[in-house]
Amino acid sequence: MSDEKAPLKYTTTTCPYCGVGCGLNLVSKGNTLVGVAPFKRSPINEGKLCPKGATCWETVQKPGRLTKPLIKKNGKFEEASWDEALDLIVKKFTEIYKQGGPKSVGFQTSCRTVNEDCYALQKWARCGFLTNNVDNCARICHGPSVAGLSLSFGSGAATNPFEDVLNSDLIVMWGSNAVEAHPLAGRRVMQAKKKGIPIIVVDPRFSPTARLADKYIRFNPSTHIALANNMMYYIIKEGLEDKEFIKERTKGFDDLKKTVEKYADATNIHGVDQETVKDFARQYAKAKNAVIIYCLGITELTTGTDNVRSMGNLSLLTGNIGRPGVGVNPLRGQNNVQGACDMGAYPNVFSGYQAVAVPENRAKHEKAWFLKEGSLPDWYGVTLTEQINQAGDPIKAMYFLGLNPTVSYPDSNHVRRQLEKLDFCVMQDIYWNESCEYADVVLPGTCFAEKDGTFTSGERRVNRVRKAVDGPGESKYDWEIIAMLAKKMGLKGFDWKSAKDVWDDMRAVTPGQFGVTYEKMEKPESVHWPCPTIEHPGTPILHIGKFSAADGKGTMFGLEYRPPAEVADAEYPFTLMTGRVIFHYHTRTQTDRSPTLHYEVPENWVQINTQDAKELGIAQHEKIKVTSRRGESIAVARVTDEVGPKVMYMPMHFYLGANNLTNTALDPLSKMPELKHCAVKVEKIKEA
Amino acid sequence: MSKKGDLLYSWTNDPEIQKKAELGGAVTTLWKYALESKMVDAVFVVTKGVDLYDAKPVLVTDPKDLASTAGSLHCGTLLLPKLIKKFYNGARDMKIGVTVKGCDMMAFYELAKRQQINLDNIIMIGVNCGGSVSPVVARKMIREKFEVDPDKVHKEEIDKGQFIIEYEGGHKGISVDELEEAGYGRRSNCRRCKLKIPRQADLACGNWGVIGPRAGKATFIEVCSEKGANLLDGAVKKGMLATEPANPKGVEIRAKVENAMYKLSDKWRKHDFESLGEGKDRLNKIMSETSRCIKCYQCIEECPICYCVECTTKNPTYVPPGELPVSFMFHLIRYAHIADSCVNCGQCEEVCAAEIPNALFMHSQQVELEKMFGHTPGINMELPLLAYVEEKEERLRLHNTGSDMIYENVFKPLK
Repeated sequence: MSDEKAPLKYTTTTCPYCGVGCGLNLVSKGNTLVGVAPFKRSPINEGKLCPKGATCWETVQKPGRLTKPLIKKNGKFEEASWDEALDLIVKKFTEIYKQGGPKSVGFQTSCRTVNEDCYALQKWARCGFLTNNVDNCARICHGPSVAGLSLSFGSGAATNPFEDVLNSDLIVMWGSNAVEAHPLAGRRVMQAKKKGIPIIVVDPRFSPTARLADKYIRFNPSTHIALANNMMYYIIKEGLEDKEFIKERTKGFDDLKKTVEKYADATNIHGVDQETVKDFARQYAKAKNAVIIYCLGITELTTGTDNVRSMGNLSLLTGNIGRPGVGVNPLRGQNNVQGACDMGAYPNVFSGYQAVAVPENRAKHEKAWFLKEGSLPDWYGVTLTEQINQAGDPIKAMYFLGLNPTVSYPDSNHVRRQLEKLDFCVMQDIYWNESCEYADVVLPGTCFAEKDGTFTSGERRVNRVRKAVDGPGESKYDWEIIAMLAKKMGLKGFDWKSAKDVWDDMRAVTPGQFGVTYEKMEKPESVHWPCPTIEHPGTPILHIGKFSAADGKGTMFGLEYRPPAEVADAEYPFTLMTGRVIFHYHTRTQTDRSPTLHYEVPENWVQINTQDAKELGIAQHEKIKVTSRRGESIAVARVTDEVGPKVMYMPMHFYLGANNLTNTALDPLSKMPELKHCAVKVEKIKEA
Repeated sequence: MSKKGDLLYSWTNDPEIQKKAELGGAVTTLWKYALESKMVDAVFVVTKGVDLYDAKPVLVTDPKDLASTAGSLHCGTLLLPKLIKKFYNGARDMKIGVTVKGCDMMAFYELAKRQQINLDNIIMIGVNCGGSVSPVVARKMIREKFEVDPDKVHKEEIDKGQFIIEYEGGHKGISVDELEEAGYGRRSNCRRCKLKIPRQADLACGNWGVIGPRAGKATFIEVCSEKGANLLDGAVKKGMLATEPANPKGVEIRAKVENAMYKLSDKWRKHDFESLGEGKDRLNKIMSETSRCIKCYQCIEECPICYCVECTTKNPTYVPPGELPVSFMFHLIRYAHIADSCVNCGQCEEVCAAEIPNALFMHSQQVELEKMFGHTPGINMELPLLAYVEEKEERLRLHNTGSDMIYENVFKPLK
C-alpha cells in the first residue's frame, strides 16, 4: 500500500503502447504506481492520451507478474535461482550451437521493449552464436515498409513527422485507422480537419477514421495496387505528373508508365467506380502538398512490399516527397517497432541498417565486438515466422524476448505445433502469457515503468523511457539478463552498467545515430534520426533535395496487381480482415489487466455486414463461429454496414481469436504473412 | 493584528528567499512560516519540471525546499485540488497549504461541497491570475510571434496586458490581445475566466497595485479570512515578513486592472458563446464535435466536479462499452451531471485527445444555468443535491440494494 503522506513523484516517460511515442508522467508514491498525469510539455501529444496511455500504469503492478526464473522440470515449472536458469540456458544453447551451427538457433525480440534490450539481444546472438537468425515482430507489421520504402526512397522509415500533416493541402489515409490504432496521430488529422484540410480515407471498412473523411473510398480488400495503378493511369493520361521532379530526382518512370497503361479501368478488381478513381487521382496530383499516411492495411498482405512501393510510386510521380506537408508515412505499429529495426534485431542488417552482406560492415563490428576477423556471417538470417516454420529442423533452440507467438503470429495451431518441436525454448517476459507453457525456461524481465531506456517512435524520434519504480521480486532489466548470459559465455563487450552504456555501445557502431545522445534526449523534443554528429540537429523530414538511396534517386516501379494467397470461394465465402481496437494492445497481456480497458472490450468480436447477417439469421451480439482452413474462432457478432457484403473484420487481440484463422502465406520480398486477408465461413452456434 | 479585508504591501525579510523570489517573496515566506510553525504538515505547490514550460506539482515538507518553488509559471496549467483528492486522500490525514489560482480555489470548494476534500485541513494562498498558456502553444508563440528560440527564454510573465519574455540578450513584450487575435495566447477557458483575484482563498496575493518605491519589490496581500489573518500575523510576528498598508492609489490601480480583465473576459465570452450558435444549431455543433470522442475518460479524470466511483458513463445501458464512435449519451451524462457546477478550469479541453472544446461546451451551459438559478459554482456555497448524501453510507446502500437512485435518501432521509 502506498503511504498517504509520501511525496508524489512524477517520472516523465514515454507511453509503452503504439508508435506515436506520447509523453506522460508516471505518478508514484514510494515504490507504488498510483496514476498517470498529463505531460503537457510534450511536443508530441501535449498531455493528451488515448484510453491505453491513460491507463498504462494500471497494468504494471498487477498479480501474475513473473518474479523469479522458472525452469521446466518433468513438465512442471519450478522456481530457480538466476545462476541455475542462466547456466542452463548457456549450456543448452552452446550444446545445440556446437552440434547444429549458427542456423540451429533463433532469436526474436519484441518491438515493445526498449532499444537497449533489442540491441543487446542481437549483439549476443551475433557474438555468441555467429548467427543472423535474429528478428523482431516488425516482420508482422511494418516489415514491408522497411523493404518497400528502402526500394523506393533508399530509407525504410516514415518521411515526415506526425504534426507535419498540418502543413498539407490534402491528407490521404490509406489502410490506416489511426483514430484507433494511433490515436494521437489521429488527433493531428482531427486538427487538420478543423483547419479545413481535406481528408480522403481509403479503406474497405468505414472505420472511426473514415468518419473524419471528406471523401471516403471503399474498395475491395487487398486490391491496393490495382487502385493505385488505375489512379496513376489517369495522372499520366491527363499529364498531371510532376515532369520536372520525375526528371531531376527519380528513375523508373517508363517502367511505371508501361505497367499502369494496363490499368485504364480496374473497377472489376478494386470495385471503385472510374469517376471516383479519376477524381481521387486528380485531387492527389493537383494538390500543392499531399501526404499519404498508411498502415497495416497496406503491409500485412502477400503483396505488402509492392503495396508500399505503390504508395512510393504515387508520391514520386506527383513530386509529393521531400518537403513539409508531403511524404509517405507508415504509422509504425508498436512503441518501438522503428527502434527494434534500427537496433539491428534484423536478419540482414546491423544497427542503423548496415547490411551484413557488406564486408566492411562485418569487419567493423568484429573489431568493435572483440570478435575474430571474418567470423560474423554474411548470409540473410531466418525471419520471424520462418523461424517458427524451421522449429525442430534446423532450428533446435529459440529465445523469445517479450513475445507471445501463440497468439500474435498467424495460424496459432501451426505455431503451437512448431514450438513443441524445439529442443529448448526460452521466454523472457513480464507476465506469464499463453506461449510460456512451450518454454523450458521463463525469465522475469522488467516493463517500461521499471527501467531506463529509449523508444524510437514512428517519426524516427528517439524518446526517453525513465524508471519510476522497481521491478517485482527478482526481475531484472532485460538488457542486463542478456549481458549476464553473454558474460557467462565469456564474451567481451557486455560490461554495461546502465541503459545509457548500452545506448552508447550502439552509437559507437551506428553512424546514423551517433549524434543521438541521452543528453539531447533530456529535451522533450529529443532528436529525429538521422543524426550523424553531436552537433547535428536531427532530421525531421527525409529526402529533401536528395533521396537516401546510393544514387540519390527515388525509384518508381511498374507493379502488377496480384490477388491474395487465399481468396473467398464457395466453401469459405467470406473475406476476413483483421485489425486493432483502441482499447487493447496486441495480445492483451497488459491491456486486459487494466480494469478500465477490460470493461470496454472483454471478449472477441467480429463485424459482419447487415445483409449477410440477415441471410444467415445472425442477430446483433449473437455469438457465432468463424472457420477457416486452419482453425476456428468464436466471436460476438457486430452486425453493421461498416463492412461491405461478404467482408468481415475481427480484432487480432484475442487468444483463440483471429490468428486461429489467419494465413501464413508470405510476401516474397519482406516475408510478411498475410494477416489481413483470408477466406472464412460463418456458422451459427447450435443451441446446447 | 490584521483582519479580513485588510489590504497590505508585504515583503520578505528572509535573505535566502530574497535571492530567489519575485515581487517581494511574501508567498514563499508565508509557507515557510506555516511549515516551521506546524500550522501545516506540508505545502503543495507547483515547481519547474523539465524547463520553464513544464510545471510539476510538489509536496514540500522541509521549509528548505521551498526556495526552489518560488516564482510563477504561466505555462503551469495544473489543477491542484483534484490531485489532492486523488493522491492525498482529500487532505483528510494532513494539513496542507496550497498556492491557488482562481480555478484551483473554485475547484477546492466544489470538491469540498461533495465531501471529497476536507477544507478544514487546507490553507489557500491565492495568487492573481490573468490566465495561463499551454506549454506547447507558448513555445510556438515565442518561436513564431516573438521570433525567439524558446529554449533561450529564462523568464516569462503576463503584465499590463502584455506577454513578456526575457531571453539571452534581451526582452520582448507583445500585447495578449494581439497574440490571441493571431490564435496564440491563453487557454480559451482562461480568456473567459472572471476570477482574477481569488478572494475566497485565505489570502489573495499578487503584484497588481504595487506602486511607488515598493513596485516590483513587494507583494500585494488582501486578507480574506481569519485563517489567512492568523497566518500573516504569525509570519510578521516572527519577523519573517514585513508589511505596510497598501498605497490607496495602488488599490485603485489593482481594481482597474481587475476590471480591465473582466471586460476582456466579457469580450471573449461573447465571442466564444456566439460562435456556438443558438438552439438546434448549437446542439448540432456540439454533437458534431463530440462525435470524434475516443473515450479516453481524461475529461472525467481531470474534472474537479467528477468524483463518482461508478460513473454513469460506465453504465452499459446508457453507453455501450467498447464502441467507437462513442454514444452521444456519454457527453449528455457529463453535461447533466457537471454543467451546473462547472468552474471553467479548462482541464477537460486541454487534455482532450479529440480536440473537442469540452470546456467551452460545459461553460456555455453553466452560464445559462447561472442565469436561471443564480448559482455561481466555486463562489456560492449552497450545496448541490449530491452533497446532502453521506457518500460512504450511500454507496453501501446502493451496493446492498442494487439501486442506482442516489436521490432517494435526500428526499426521504433514512434517519
